[in-house]
Amino acid sequence: MFQDARDYQILFLSSFLILGISTRDWTIHPEFLLVTVLTCSIAQWFFTSFLAFWPVWWRREYPVNFALSRFNFSFSSLRSALITSLGLCLLLRANEASTMAIAAFLAIASKFLFRWSHKHFFNPANFGIIAALLLTQDAWVSPGQWGTDGWYLLLFLGAGGMVLNKVGRWDTSAAFLGAYGGLEALRNLWLGQAWDVYWHHLTSGSLLLFALFMLTDPRSIPNATLSRLLWALAIASVAFFLEHALYLNNAIFWALFALSPVTILLDRVWSASRFDWAGFSVNSL
Amino acid sequence: MKRILIVIATICALIGFARPALAFCGFYVAKADSSLYNQASQVIIARDRDRTVLTMANDYQGEVKDFALVVPVPVLLSEDQVNVGEPKIIERIDAFSAPRLVEYFDSNPCAIPSPVPMLESRVGALEDGAIMTGRAGNAADLGVTIEDQFTVGEYDILLLSAEESDGLETWLRQNEYQIPEGASALLQPYIRQNMKFFVARVNLEEFEESGYQKLRPLMMAFESPKFRLPIRLGTMNAQSEQDLIVYLLSPGGQVELTNYRTVKVPSNLELPGFVEEEFTDFYKSMFATSHAKEQKKVAFLEYAWDMGWCDPCVADALSPEELRQAGVFWDTTSRGGGSNVFITRLHVRYTRDRFPEDLRFQSTSNRENFQGRYIIRHPYKGEMDCPAGIEYQRNLQQRLEREAQTLARLTDWDIQEIRSKIDLPDIEPRPWWRRLWD
Repeated sequence: MFQDARDYQILFLSSFLILGISTRDWTIHPEFLLVTVLTCSIAQWFFTSFLAFWPVWWRREYPVNFALSRFNFSFSSLRSALITSLGLCLLLRANEASTMAIAAFLAIASKFLFRWSHKHFFNPANFGIIAALLLTQDAWVSPGQWGTDGWYLLLFLGAGGMVLNKVGRWDTSAAFLGAYGGLEALRNLWLGQAWDVYWHHLTSGSLLLFALFMLTDPRSIPNATLSRLLWALAIASVAFFLEHALYLNNAIFWALFALSPVTILLDRVWSASRFDWAGFSVNSL
Repeated sequence: MKRILIVIATICALIGFARPALAFCGFYVAKADSSLYNQASQVIIARDRDRTVLTMANDYQGEVKDFALVVPVPVLLSEDQVNVGEPKIIERIDAFSAPRLVEYFDSNPCAIPSPVPMLESRVGALEDGAIMTGRAGNAADLGVTIEDQFTVGEYDILLLSAEESDGLETWLRQNEYQIPEGASALLQPYIRQNMKFFVARVNLEEFEESGYQKLRPLMMAFESPKFRLPIRLGTMNAQSEQDLIVYLLSPGGQVELTNYRTVKVPSNLELPGFVEEEFTDFYKSMFATSHAKEQKKVAFLEYAWDMGWCDPCVADALSPEELRQAGVFWDTTSRGGGSNVFITRLHVRYTRDRFPEDLRFQSTSNRENFQGRYIIRHPYKGEMDCPAGIEYQRNLQQRLEREAQTLARLTDWDIQEIRSKIDLPDIEPRPWWRRLWD
């Protein structure tokens, strides 16, 4: 149906957002959604066009107007910005619209500021969330917002599986969920707890959404399969540690943030071709 | 003209869950033949960063000598960290935050409106409480260590640590704590997590000397990164659903659960006038219906209020002294003379199968105010002799029907019965052509 896997992602994320607002008692201000989407899009436009002509102008090789003529802003890149803004709207909560704008701007900026050999290594939405949590006193994330309904889990698994199947990154989610689920199972055994406690913990909608939609951004995660597996295992372990040893809420987001720079190292050790949305096409459904 | 003008206070007894429900964080360990019943448990948690003051309401109804309480605590507490609180504070904070009914009187649609001051509404208190019985004995070979024991107010307190849950279970039984079968399986995870057990019973001499009729709330202050409330022990000896009201006080914003959904109770709804006499029944039915609708696995937010921002105040704000009694330990003076305290009231109705995990909380920056509030608008019944009056009467019919449907939807009550209780004012039909002739 869609040629670009991002279109599926946009479709799914926006339906989750509608679902959340209509059935999960979320208080989301419509103007916050608008601010987030607009800020992401404008930031994306600003950085793409600015970075396109800045080096040329700086070297004074061409007059500015020539540089500007080379400005080739592609509307396709707005898709990524939209995905980032939907991710923020789904996860981040704030009292003020300005907090959402800060998160949105920094999320997009991170793609252009934190780069290593033409690849950004922070997941933009994750970066935006952590930046808002650290820099403002106004932001929070509600890990309990989806509850633990089986129906949602199937939906997330189905939708996530479809996108992952198209971008070929299902290994990352599987490794993460396997490792995290395994660690939790060991802990449950050690504690001697009933297994419904375990399932209740693992079937949190937020956890699945993270594993299927945030962890798998093909542009920012390691390129080689082996390095992705290692990376996912590391994130699961760090998240487990943060949660059970330091009692941190939202440990998965902090773990992903902390381990994102490791991508550079993993990419140097195991090289593989970089993911490119443009070079990627899918058959219609 | 259908303007709401006057607001008058209504006093409405609230929840009064008259169902057997047992202790919240701990469990009853009464003598086998005692039948122990308590109503909704109530807990106040005041927390800033890692510091917590936990106040457990005690509305224990049985023989005082049979009372005993076992609560897992994250750290060892010294005598100085345990205190008995003011019995009134729970009632006060309950009344302050309880869902309320407000009453409006429609004005004469034919008169020019003049604003009338609003009087405050107040809601009755919740029945609360929890707790238990037994006598402490000796520990040792069972791997149970009595880390500390002391008397605070009318309570004898023991702090236990254990190596094995079987040992602890045996020890508790040997010391005449009637704990339910299978307690060991529930104690085990707490022991593995290196938690301690806070065991309280009543010192009868001290109780008689104190002159109090009822047991006072137990308070404990401790520092721990764990922001949790153990409820699993409480699910053990309960045959039915248990109600727990948690009042969370924080200097930041709303507190929410991280491992369950936190859902607002239906609020700001207009209801038929007769609900005034049946508000307790209404709230109980509405809560039960909402709870069932959410598959009985969410916590309900009944109240969230920034006490520093009070314009208007829905109720008399808690004084600094009352806040102190509720366990607020941080400096509460803030902008505008209000207090730097945000209160969140969560109502959790739980069973073992729908709430398998202990409650985990997080303090958020969310400063949105919320209250469970229900509105009654009494129709104007005087003489109306103007076109606006006819319009008013026509709209009134629709409004009353809407209110009946709202009530039926919220409570699952029979719509016909609701309609029959609504006092529909007689409206003389006035044919449209009368306007031409008159």
